[in-house]
Amino acid sequence: MREAVLTWCVPLELLCSHPLPLSAFLKTQVKLYTCRACAGKDEMGKMVSVINTVDTSHEDMIHDAQMDYYGTRLATCSSDRSVKIFDVRNGGQILIADLRGHEGPVWQVAWAHPMYGNILASCSYDRKVIIWREENGTWEKSHEHAGHDSSVNSVCWAPHDYGLILACGSSDGAISLLTYTGEGQWEVKKINNAHTIGCNAVSWAPAVVPGSLIDQPSGQKPNYIKRFASGGCDNLIKLWKEEEDGQWKEEQKLEAHSDWVRDVAWAPSIGLPTSTIASCSQDGRVFIWTCDDASSNTWSPKLLHKFNDVVWHVSWSITANILAVSGGDNKVTLWKESVDGQWVCISDVNKGQGSVSASVTEGQQNEQ
Amino acid sequence: GKELDGEPTVTVRAVNSRKNQMCFDWGPGRLLVSNEPPSNKKEMCSCPFIYIIRKDVDRIDERLTGKIQKSQLVRVSKNYRSVIRACMEECTSVFAAKDPANGRQFSSQVSILSAMELIWNLCEILFIEVAPAGPLLLHLLDWVRLHVCEVDSLSADVLGSENPSKHDSFWNLVTILVLQGRLDEARQMLSKEADASPASAGICRIMGDLMRTMPILSPGNTQTLTELELKWQHWHEECERYLQDSTFATSPHLESLLKIMLGDEAALLEQKELLSNWYHFLVTRLLYSNPTVKPIDLHYYAQSSLDLFLGGESSPEPLDNILLAAFEFDIHQVIKECSIALSNWWFVAHLTDLLDHCKLLQSHNLYFGSNMREFLLLEYASGLFAHPSLWQLGVDYFDYCPELGRVSLELHIERIPLNTEQKALKVLRVCEQRQMTEQVRSICKILAMKAVRNNRLGSALSWSIRAKDAAFATLVSDRFLRDYCERGCFSDLDLIDNLGPAMMLSDRLTFLGKYREFHRMYGEKRFADAASLLLSLMTSRIAPRSFWMTLLTDALPLLEQKQVIFSAEQTYELMRCLEDLTSRRPVHGESDTEQLQDDDIETTKVEMLRLSLARNLARAIIREGSLEGS
Repeated sequence: MREAVLTWCVPLELLCSHPLPLSAFLKTQVKLYTCRACAGKDEMGKMVSVINTVDTSHEDMIHDAQMDYYGTRLATCSSDRSVKIFDVRNGGQILIADLRGHEGPVWQVAWAHPMYGNILASCSYDRKVIIWREENGTWEKSHEHAGHDSSVNSVCWAPHDYGLILACGSSDGAISLLTYTGEGQWEVKKINNAHTIGCNAVSWAPAVVPGSLIDQPSGQKPNYIKRFASGGCDNLIKLWKEEEDGQWKEEQKLEAHSDWVRDVAWAPSIGLPTSTIASCSQDGRVFIWTCDDASSNTWSPKLLHKFNDVVWHVSWSITANILAVSGGDNKVTLWKESVDGQWVCISDVNKGQGSVSASVTEGQQNEQ
Repeated sequence: GKELDGEPTVTVRAVNSRKNQMCFDWGPGRLLVSNEPPSNKKEMCSCPFIYIIRKDVDRIDERLTGKIQKSQLVRVSKNYRSVIRACMEECTSVFAAKDPANGRQFSSQVSILSAMELIWNLCEILFIEVAPAGPLLLHLLDWVRLHVCEVDSLSADVLGSENPSKHDSFWNLVTILVLQGRLDEARQMLSKEADASPASAGICRIMGDLMRTMPILSPGNTQTLTELELKWQHWHEECERYLQDSTFATSPHLESLLKIMLGDEAALLEQKELLSNWYHFLVTRLLYSNPTVKPIDLHYYAQSSLDLFLGGESSPEPLDNILLAAFEFDIHQVIKECSIALSNWWFVAHLTDLLDHCKLLQSHNLYFGSNMREFLLLEYASGLFAHPSLWQLGVDYFDYCPELGRVSLELHIERIPLNTEQKALKVLRVCEQRQMTEQVRSICKILAMKAVRNNRLGSALSWSIRAKDAAFATLVSDRFLRDYCERGCFSDLDLIDNLGPAMMLSDRLTFLGKYREFHRMYGEKRFADAASLLLSLMTSRIAPRSFWMTLLTDALPLLEQKQVIFSAEQTYELMRCLEDLTSRRPVHGESDTEQLQDDDIETTKVEMLRLSLARNLARAIIREGSLEGS
C-alpha cells in the first residue's frame, strides 16, 4: 500500500531555509522534512531532524499532499474521500477547506498556476475528476468531469503558457484533456487506449517556444508544441504531442520497465537543450531518460537505482537539480547528478530521521 | 547599501554601532517574540553582514581586473571572520542580558559560530595567507590564543587577588601561559612568586631566564630559518641540561614547566585539561619541539596529536575531522565535511567562493573544480528565497553564478508570494532589470487576474499594459466597456485618459481610449471633433460591432443639437452603419457576429435613430446647399 509518497515543496517560510523540504505522509499525518543540511543541528555533529507535522485529521490513508505555487497552502487528499486545504504559512496549519464531493478514495490533487486564480484539481477511484475553485474566500466545486469508465489515477496541469489545461490518466486506459474555454466551460479531448489495462501517471513537458522568442503580434499566441508523458500498466512510458489539427498523437514509446509504471515526472527546464524524464515502477527501478536534441527523438535511459520494493513516486525540485524518490519500503531518498553523469544519493530520509549516507561529492571520491 | 523591505539601509560593513542596530532589528527583535527553530535564527543573524562583505570582494575584482592580491584576499577573509565574531558578541550580550533562559538556548548557537570562526581562521592561515615555515607557527599560536581564551578570565582572577602567587589557580595560570607560548607574561608571574617566596627566587630566576631566551621568530627579524633553528637547538640543549641536573627538583611545578618547554609529550598530556583540545596540544607541541615546522609536515603532527590527545577514549568529532582535513591541505575534504556538519550553506558557500578567488580550487585539481563554487552558491542562494525579504540577497548571489544563476533565478522568482503591491513591484523591477520578459509577463498576468477578480479594473489594466499582454488588455477593456454599458459611466478615468502610446497595445484598448476621448470632447463641447471621432470609430472598424448600437445611441444628442454637426456625408455614413447593423448580414472583415435581436426596445431605438438621421440629413443638405449657393 502507498505509505510514503512525496512532493517537492516551495520552501516554507521559517521551516527550512533550503529548497528541499518535501512532504511524505503516513496514515493521516503529513510530515514536512527539511533537507539534510538544514536538519536543525544545534551542536556540531549532533543531528536533530526538524520535521513539521501537519495533523490533517483525515480519517483514512492520505494519498497525496501538494503545496501550492508559493508554498503557502497545502492540499491533501485521502481514502476518506475528502480533499483538505491548509494554510501553512509561518509553520502553522490552519484548515481552510474540507471539500466533499468524491465518492471514493481520492488519489491525487494538483494546483493550477496562480494566474488563473486559486484552482485545485482532484481525481478519484469514483472515476471522477473535480475542479475546485476559490471564489470570494470560499472553496466550491467548479466543475466535474465524469468521462472515464474507471478510477482516475493522476491529474496534472499543463504549463500556464498553454492556458488552463488538465491532463487526467485513468485505469480505463484513457487519458483525457480538459481545456477551459471560458464562462465555466470545459472542452474535453480524449485519448482512448493510451495504455492497455490502465494509465497511472501523467506529467507535462515544460513550455518551450519553438523558433524565435520575439513578441508575437498583439492578440496572437505563440505556437507552442505541447507535449506530455504518461506511464501505464503496460510497463510503458509514452510521450504525446499535440498536432496542428489539435489531435494528440503518440510520439514515442519508452520501454525499459518490466512492471507497471507508477509515476513519471518531466523535469523543469533549466535552459539546456536536453530534456529529462524520471520514471519509476513496480519493478523497483527508477530510470532517468534524456533526450539531447529537441528534434532528434532518441531517448536514452539510465538506471538511477534498483530498489528492493515498488517505487511509488518521483518528483523533481524546482530547479531540477535534485530528484526525490519514494518507495514502498517507506523510505524517501534524494538523488543528484554529479558532473560525470553518475547519479548519487545525497540523503536518506527514513521514517522521520534525517541521516546522511553520502555527500554529493562522494561519487567522485569513489571514482578517484 | 540596499533596502531590504523597509529595514534600515545598510551602508557600513565594519563592526560598529550601526551594525548593532541592524542585527538587533533582524535577530533579537523578531526572535524573542516568536518560536522559531534555532537554525533559522542563526541564518537571520548572519545574512545581512554576509551580503555587504561579498560586495567588497567583487569590487576588488573589478579594480584589479582578475589579478587579486593576496593581501586583499586576506583582508576579505578577516572581514568575514570579524562578521562571525560580531554575530557571536551580539548573540551572547543581547540575549543573555534580555532573558537568561533564552541565553542558554543561544549558547549553543554561539558555540557553532565559534567553531565556524575557528575553521575559517585556520583556512585563512593555511590556504589564503599560505604561511611558510616560521611564520606558520606564529599564526597558529595566534589562532590558538584567540580560541582558547579561558586564560584571560583566569588571569583576571589571579592577578586581582591579594596574593596572586598564593592563589589556587596560580600555577595553572603560569602553565597555560607557557602552553600558549606567552612566556613574557609567564615570567612576570614567576617574578611574583619569587617575591613572595624568596626560597624559590633563585630557580624562578633561572626559569625566567630560560623563558626570556627562547629563540622565536619575530616580525622584522632578519635571521634566516636556519639560524633560528640553530639557536633554538642550543636553547633546547640548555633546557635539557637543566633537566639532567635536576635544577628544578625542589619545585614540581617548575620541573613540569621545564618538561613542557622541552616538548615532552607526556608532560604536555598531563595538562590535558588546561589544553582543553587536541589542536592546542598540537600547536604547543610544535612550539616546543619543532617551531620551524613546514606546512607539508603539519598533517603528520596533527594526526598524531589528535590520537594522543584522545588517547583512544573518545572518537573524533566532525569539527576534529574538518580541522584535520585542513592540516592535510585537503580543501575538498574540508568543504565536504563542513557541508555535512554545518546546518546552513552560508559558511561553505562563502568560504568556497573566497578560495575560488584564490584560485585554489583549480590548483587542487578537483573533479568538481570550477563547478563547486557555483554549486554551493546556488544552494545558498536558493535557501535565501524562503525568507520574506532576504530573497533580494538571493538575487544578487544568483547573478554571480555564470552557468545556472539566471535560470535558477527565473525559476525561483516566480514563486515569491506577492503579498503586497510593494513587493510585487520589487520583484518586477528585478526581472525587468535582467530582461526576464517571460517572468514579467507571468507575474503581471497573475496580478492582473487577481485585480480583475477583485473588480479593480484600473489596476488590472495597468498590469496588463506592463506585461505587454495584448490579449489580457483586450479582456480588461471589454470589462470596462461592459461596465460602462451597465452603469453609464467609466471607472478609473485617470488611467484611461493617460494611456498614451500604451493605447496601441490592443485594438480594444485603443477603442476604449478613443471612446473615452469622445466623451471628453463632448464634455468640452467640441461637438464637431467628437462627431468625427465617433464616426471614425465605426468606419475604421476599431469599435467592436457589439458596441455600435451604443455608439449610434451616443450620436443621438449630437444629431438633436440646434446646429448641424454631422455633415451630409457623415450622416450617410452613419446611416450605412445603422443599416449594416440591422441587416442580418455580417459585415465583411468583422469577426464579431453578434446580431441585433428582435427586441421591442431595440426596434424603438432603431426607429428613433432612423428618424434623427433623416432629419439631420435634411438639415445638412439644406445648410450645405445654401452655403454653396451664397
